[in-house]
Amino acid sequence: MRLISLLVLGTLAFADGGKVQFQRKAGAFNITLFSTPTPVRSGRADFSVMVQKNGTETPVLDADVRLHLIKREANSIAEVSARARHEQASNKLLYAAQVDLNATGKWRVEISVQNATESALVTGEVEVLPAEPPLLAHWPYFAVLPVLAILFAVNQVLKRRRAKGAAARR
Amino acid sequence: MESAAVAALQSWTLNGQVIALLVIGAFVYWRGWWRGERDGTRLSAFLSSLLILFLATESPLDAFDSLFLSAHMTQHLLLMMIAPPLLLFSRPMLPMLRGLPRAFVKEGLGPFLSCKQLRQFFGWLTSPVPAWIVFALSTVLWHLPRAYELALSSTAWHGAQHATFFWSGVLFWWPVIQPGLGKPRWPKWVAIPYLLFADILNTLLSVVFVFSGNLLYPSYAAVRASHLTALEDQSLAGLIMWVPGSIVYLVPAFVLVVGLFTTPRMQQASAPRRVHRSRLKSNSLWWKRAPLLRRVAQSAMLLVAVAVVWDGFRGQQVAALNLAGALPWIHWRALSMLALLVVGNLFCLSCPFMLVRDAGRRLFTPKLRWPSVLRNKWLPAGLIVLYLWAYEAFSLWDSPWITAWIISGYFVAALLVDSVFRGASFCKYVCPIGQYHFVVSLVSPREVAVKDKAVCRSCRTYDCIRGNEKARGCELYLFQPKKASNLDCTFCLDCVKACPHDNVGLMAVTPAKTLLSDAYRSGIGRLSKRADMVALALLLVFGAFVNAAGMVDPVMMWEQGWRVGAFVLAGAVALPLAVFWLGGKHARRLAFALVPLGVSMWAAHLAYHALGEVLWLQILLLDAGLLLTLYTAWRMSQGALLKVFAPWASVACLLFSTGVWIFFQPMQMRGMMP
Repeated sequence: MRLISLLVLGTLAFADGGKVQFQRKAGAFNITLFSTPTPVRSGRADFSVMVQKNGTETPVLDADVRLHLIKREANSIAEVSARARHEQASNKLLYAAQVDLNATGKWRVEISVQNATESALVTGEVEVLPAEPPLLAHWPYFAVLPVLAILFAVNQVLKRRRAKGAAARR
Repeated sequence: MESAAVAALQSWTLNGQVIALLVIGAFVYWRGWWRGERDGTRLSAFLSSLLILFLATESPLDAFDSLFLSAHMTQHLLLMMIAPPLLLFSRPMLPMLRGLPRAFVKEGLGPFLSCKQLRQFFGWLTSPVPAWIVFALSTVLWHLPRAYELALSSTAWHGAQHATFFWSGVLFWWPVIQPGLGKPRWPKWVAIPYLLFADILNTLLSVVFVFSGNLLYPSYAAVRASHLTALEDQSLAGLIMWVPGSIVYLVPAFVLVVGLFTTPRMQQASAPRRVHRSRLKSNSLWWKRAPLLRRVAQSAMLLVAVAVVWDGFRGQQVAALNLAGALPWIHWRALSMLALLVVGNLFCLSCPFMLVRDAGRRLFTPKLRWPSVLRNKWLPAGLIVLYLWAYEAFSLWDSPWITAWIISGYFVAALLVDSVFRGASFCKYVCPIGQYHFVVSLVSPREVAVKDKAVCRSCRTYDCIRGNEKARGCELYLFQPKKASNLDCTFCLDCVKACPHDNVGLMAVTPAKTLLSDAYRSGIGRLSKRADMVALALLLVFGAFVNAAGMVDPVMMWEQGWRVGAFVLAGAVALPLAVFWLGGKHARRLAFALVPLGVSMWAAHLAYHALGEVLWLQILLLDAGLLLTLYTAWRMSQGALLKVFAPWASVACLLFSTGVWIFFQPMQMRGMMP
């Protein structure tokens, strides 16, 4: 089942770094937030966090990393929380989480990092654009149709030309 | 080893689409290689080239290419300078052509391969000057800061960059290795200045990276992920490009120079060409054992069915936690569809009802013939309509108890029918699941068919239909020499066992090709003369869309009470009837052209349940169905493009659009845990 999922769903771990959204130093940590897709659009997005020790820049791999995204509007608040893990990331130095963002605009991102001895909280902002129309988001899979139709038309023209040539030679 | 290093080494991207492409490529090459001269060195080169591609795109190099320019440069080096020469050294053209289906090579690729203009263009493109220029442009342009930053910020452009590097690499190495058929087009010495000029360009670029002192790609400065600064990383990338890159150019150039000053040895007499044509023979043993395998499969399926019924009656009545919930409605349907698309009607081969039927016939010795008025597909077609309605009206996927009753009812019906009536009456005239499999298997790539028609012409015993002491003949009245397509074939393999000449087997066929012919088919007649068959095909095509539409929010909200029946009747009965009526005299033929699209809709729908929302897969399946339907309709219309082809193509496009609309809607994952 894992193999089928791998073949069909594309990747077992989805987050792959992506664009750097912000980098903050807090306490003993240097924390960087990456996101994909670029730009971030409403719907599912991957967030990856890199936690390094301040000064040495050594990656911290034993931390508990949590993301909290908040979007405040005049009379409503949208919130999403997720725990970021190495298992969700392709790059195992990163902690990754997938979140569903259902509103566009500026989201405030809080990243809390805690390991056995230290903890830190950093905040930043991420701009979320409206989701692409599904047809546009999947255009390569629709483009297959006209491309193959054109190739088929050329195939038929070549076949006819070849048949004509063969008839003329006879 | 440090934990960070261990984590880095575990950072594999593992993109399923890339892996699937590499595996398919390896399979096609191996198939062609097996059919031709089995040169182990060439096979090793091809597989090594795929391995290098895998390492370049899936290994930690890929996971770290956005953090370290040096990792990215190594990745590019593999894509441009290692994988392409290995690929060309394997001389892939002939094995790949041999490995692909013959009909596709002859009809699909043949006209392109024999086109004079295309051959001239390709010959020009692979000659030293254009190949060198394309390679140099691709190398220089992609390393310009704006282009490189674009690739770093966009997955699509990153993919385009890698594709350009790989294919320009193939083009570059072509004049050096000259993998084409026939004599080399250029003397070997031409490759020496060719490689040296490439090395000069490579060195110039490397110098810029190593000595520029400015960071060329600011993205790499955003994160400092090691003790190296971004500038030091850039210098390291330059060194990787310089030293290993130069070695890749200079070593072949050196070998060529040495070759020019060495007296060529007498060529060894080439070994006689070993073409292995033992396919039919090697299959024989497998076929002899097939009936036994069939019994094992049927017994296993019977045990599963008994467990499903037991759990359905006695277990927890929550679909996702009951064997009678997800197993028949999600997994079995998806797996049988996968089997249909990859092999053929494997469900009927392992049908659990078969053992019960056989037991009934041994106990009661049926004597009657199935009533002539019911010797058609109208009864199963009615049962399919009933199923489509009941599925929506009673939420069958959500009720283990009803599911258990349906399966039990199926066993009783199979037992009763085949205890009273001779032949496989239940399979041929009653079983709606069987009819679904028969129609879908029209696009399967395998068919139970004769191996050599000449053998059948000399046969006087007709054991395949009459039977003999080894096996009974075909119970569905399919006479092998006149059988075409998988219609009504339960893959029971009785004919395979009965044939004394070992002339029947599971043969490869072009999917849906059988639809193009309206010739007489044994046990069926001419398809265009069978209104029941046309109705069954249209019902299953439109039923696919009705069944899938039932799980999307806009339809579910509307579909309440009496509207369920109205929706199923309108979508699966009235609409096909209207299409049939509007199709006029051509409808009886062209209705079958819609079958591939219907099958693709079933497959996309079942894939959704089995794997979740994988929109690219669902769209690609629909694409394949539409293209096959359009091609079949085009062939059937025999040049009458406006009058015959256009209306049916419009129906197909409308159905395709409906399918796309369905998959873009919010859907319910019925019968699964939320």
